[in-house]
Amino acid sequence: MSEKTATKRKPKSSQIPFALILLVGLIFFGNYLFTKSPNLVIALILGLAFGYILQRSRFCFTAGFRDPWLTGSTSITRAVILAIALATIGFFFIKYKAFLAGAEVIPGNAHFVNPIGISLLVGGVMFGIGMVIAGGCASGTLMRVGEGFQMQIISLIFFVLGSLWGVHDLPFWNSLSKDAPRIFLPDYFGWYGALAVQFALLGAAYFVAIWWQKKKMGSIE
Amino acid sequence: MKEYRLDCLGEACPIPLMKTEKKMMDLQVGDMLIVMIDHSCAMKNVPEWARTQGHNVDIEEVDDGEWEIFIEKVK
Repeated sequence: MSEKTATKRKPKSSQIPFALILLVGLIFFGNYLFTKSPNLVIALILGLAFGYILQRSRFCFTAGFRDPWLTGSTSITRAVILAIALATIGFFFIKYKAFLAGAEVIPGNAHFVNPIGISLLVGGVMFGIGMVIAGGCASGTLMRVGEGFQMQIISLIFFVLGSLWGVHDLPFWNSLSKDAPRIFLPDYFGWYGALAVQFALLGAAYFVAIWWQKKKMGSIE
Repeated sequence: MKEYRLDCLGEACPIPLMKTEKKMMDLQVGDMLIVMIDHSCAMKNVPEWARTQGHNVDIEEVDDGEWEIFIEKVK
C-alpha cells in the first residue's frame, strides 16, 4: 500500500478499571437476581453472551436482508441462514421431546401457531423499511446503543414507543388475520419430514445467496 | 495521485457504504480515499465491498469506536 496519512492516534485511556467496576456490578446484580429466581441469572448470562457475540461478530440481521440489494454481498445473509438452521435443530429437539412426553400445547404447536395473514406480510415489509432507515433491527439497535452510537439511541426510543403502541392495539391487529391459515409443518410432514423440509428450504436459500453474490459481485468472498 | 477524505462520522449503516461507492467513481487509478466512520457495521461492509471490487484496503482504529478506512483505487 502506498503512503497514507492517518489521523494521529490519540493516547487511549485504559478501560480495564471500567471493566472491573462493571464486572463487580454484574456479580452483585446476578446475586440479587438469584434471590428472586435462578432462571433470571441464566437469562442474564445468556443475554451477556448473546450481546458479546453479536458485537464481536458484527452480525446484523438488517445487513443480511439489505446488502444483497445494495452491494450484492450475501456473506451476512448466509450467516443468518446458518443461524436459523442451527436454531432449527435446537428447537426441533426441545419441541419433539415435549411432544413425546405428551405435552398437549407446545409453544409452536398447531393450537399455538400464529396465523399467517396479509397483516403479517405488510408488517414485515414495514419493519424491513424501518430497520434500514434506523440502521438496525431490534438486536442491532440495542447492540449499537451499547457501543455508544448516539443516533441509535433515538432509534431505540422510538422503537420502544412503537412497540408499546403496537401492543396496545394488538387485539385489533390479531383480529385482522384470525381466519388466516395456521401452518405447523409437523402436522403436514411428520416431525422428521418437517425438519427435512425446513433444511431443504434453507439449503436452497443458501445456494441462491451464493449464486446472487457471484452474479452481482463476481466473487463469493 | 491524490488523497481524498470522506467524513461519515455519525452516519449509520448503510450511508457510509453508499457515499464510498459514489465517491470512488470520482477517483483516478492510484488515488486514495480515506473514509472516516464511527458506526461499527460500516467497518465491516465498506472494506468488504472495496475488496471485492479489487481495491487495496486498510483499516486503522484512530480512537475508541472511530475508524479510518484507506481505499486505494487500483482499477
